Amino acid sequence: MRIGQVIGKVTMGVQDPALRATRWLLVNPLEGEQLNTACDIEPRMTSLPSLVVYDDLGAGESDIVGFVEGAEATAPFEDPTPIDAITVAIFDWIEHHPYPPEDDDD
Amino acid sequence: MCRVVGNAVATHSHPSLKGFSMLLCRQENSNGESSGAPPFVAIDLFGAALHQRVFVSTDGIGARGIVDDQSSPVRNYIQGLIDE
Repeated sequence: MRIGQVIGKVTMGVQDPALRATRWLLVNPLEGEQLNTACDIEPRMTSLPSLVVYDDLGAGESDIVGFVEGAEATAPFEDPTPIDAITVAIFDWIEHHPYPPEDDDD
Repeated sequence: MCRVVGNAVATHSHPSLKGFSMLLCRQENSNGESSGAPPFVAIDLFGAALHQRVFVSTDGIGARGIVDDQSSPVRNYIQGLIDE
């Protein structure tokens, strides 16, 4: 799963019948250097392309979420559903220690 | 092949992920150089240490077997720890 910040919601007027009553979020994936502070300080937008992600957890704007892309995103559904990305976790805390370690004492 | 670069905690997650530790992994080539892509999250069964090299599988079928839930969207899991 990748990590991103919820930056908005998406509503659709016309959509596949399988997607009725679903909730969609706009998620901006985060860069590695933003991960340590992401849950405390609102991260800035990255240049990574944002995604529209199906949400079942009730994530809100500015939450840091983990999302899975690909065929696995449809695993929770009994019927075939045209979904490409789904939220699977809302993070409370992320600790990132880059490798090789930086020389400062952090 | 990845390097463990941290961990993540989520109280609210898909029910199938409860009880599994989630580690931050960064993809590397065989020389140990980072691919430059941001880290991603994989579930860990073996207690991998920080900065340890690990094998990460992106096979959803295997991951669903590990969490024992066929309706789980989980995809990445640590398949083995690499001796260095």
